[in-house]
Amino acid sequence: MFDLLYKELKLAAHPNLFIFTLLGVLVIVPAYPYGMVFMFGCLGPYITFMYGRETNDIYYTALLPVRKKDTVKAKCLLLVLAQMTQLIISLPFAFLRVKVLLAGNPAGIEANIAYYGFGLITYAIFNFIFLTHFFKTAYKAGKAFLAAIIPAFLVVAVMEVLVHFPKFQWLDSIAPDAMLKQLPILVIGIVIYVISIFTAYHVSAERFEHVDL
Amino acid sequence: MDVLDVRGLTKHYTDFTLKDITFSLKQGRIMGLIGKNGAGKTTTLKSILNLVCPDAGTIEMFGQDFRKNEESCKQNIGVVLGEIDFYKHKRLSDITDVTKRFYENWDEDAYQRYLKTFSLNPRKRVKELSSGMKVKYMIALALSHSARLLIFDEPTSGLDPVFRDDLLGLFRQLVKSGERSILYSTHITSDLEKCADDITYIKDGRLLRSAEKSEFIKSFQYLKEPGEKGELTLEEIMIRTERRNYNV
Repeated sequence: MFDLLYKELKLAAHPNLFIFTLLGVLVIVPAYPYGMVFMFGCLGPYITFMYGRETNDIYYTALLPVRKKDTVKAKCLLLVLAQMTQLIISLPFAFLRVKVLLAGNPAGIEANIAYYGFGLITYAIFNFIFLTHFFKTAYKAGKAFLAAIIPAFLVVAVMEVLVHFPKFQWLDSIAPDAMLKQLPILVIGIVIYVISIFTAYHVSAERFEHVDL
Repeated sequence: MDVLDVRGLTKHYTDFTLKDITFSLKQGRIMGLIGKNGAGKTTTLKSILNLVCPDAGTIEMFGQDFRKNEESCKQNIGVVLGEIDFYKHKRLSDITDVTKRFYENWDEDAYQRYLKTFSLNPRKRVKELSSGMKVKYMIALALSHSARLLIFDEPTSGLDPVFRDDLLGLFRQLVKSGERSILYSTHITSDLEKCADDITYIKDGRLLRSAEKSEFIKSFQYLKEPGEKGELTLEEIMIRTERRNYNV
């Protein structure tokens, strides 16, 4: 597993993936729709998949002494690593902004517990649709991205719009009691993310077995 | 001992069918897989390697079912697919650094030796290599993990005559010890004259014949025209078998 991930990072990943992963720091921007961070978390893998098609990465992996489905596993691992790293990078900045930016985020949701829950749901939806679509052919990355990014964007849009309604003010809060109320969203996000990536792996691996390279 | 045994390999496409391909390759031998462009040579090689999903047939490699033992079989093979470059912008050293992690029998000293023998500079990027040097790099990788079976898809296409001769000479050396075997596809018949022990001929997706070279040539002498003296060469055999008349 480590070797597959090493291969992804050293040979397959496009430099943009690293840059977009670092964009977790955007939660320190005073006024910004932080949902964009998750969009970057989807865009980075897409560019890497496009790059992989250009570099014949799938062929290289399929010829290594691994099973054909390990090619899919390698991509799933890369997606999880990039997205989780992005969230981890954002965390210290989410804490820091509470100390230094007392006015909150007028552009949209705060970087709070609900925000991370919605983020994981966004990733989960994107990953499942993108991976399962892509591995039908192992080259139609654009079509897979389009199919995946639209529903993922809708989750982000709902999150960003919802917090402007007075009834959902608690979603935009960083007060401890409000964050406690937000906790189920994070839990749901984690559960959906885990289920999504495992299901995406199994469905994609099954589809990729029948792909003619 | 057979290192590769292909039985009844079949693959249907909308406008092409590879049907019932059966042949076997013995240890220490070089087999040329011939056929004109589009005959099904690449599909055969890709089906053997599970890159293409065949509709029927079995592949035994080193006495094991390839599909059930994909990882262990792949530990012992080296593959060069024609016209496919990996990671054009990466340095050879980076590709090697990743590749060697996957092989249990990686021999770093041997790899360094092959780099020197083939005059390969590990600091070079793939895009900076000529076609022949790319093939040599892939061979260096394959030999450094002690591959027992080397599979090449049209390795000599696009090479100049000098480099081609050089590569075929290398093929002969590789099997000299009797440990390694080579299966390579080509449509260049002169390559086979120089460097093949066995020949497998595929025509329009069907196996025409698979046999030891001299036996193969003998079996096609019926194509001789009246009054012709001497044996038909492989080129003549192929041309006469594939000849078509266009009514234009």
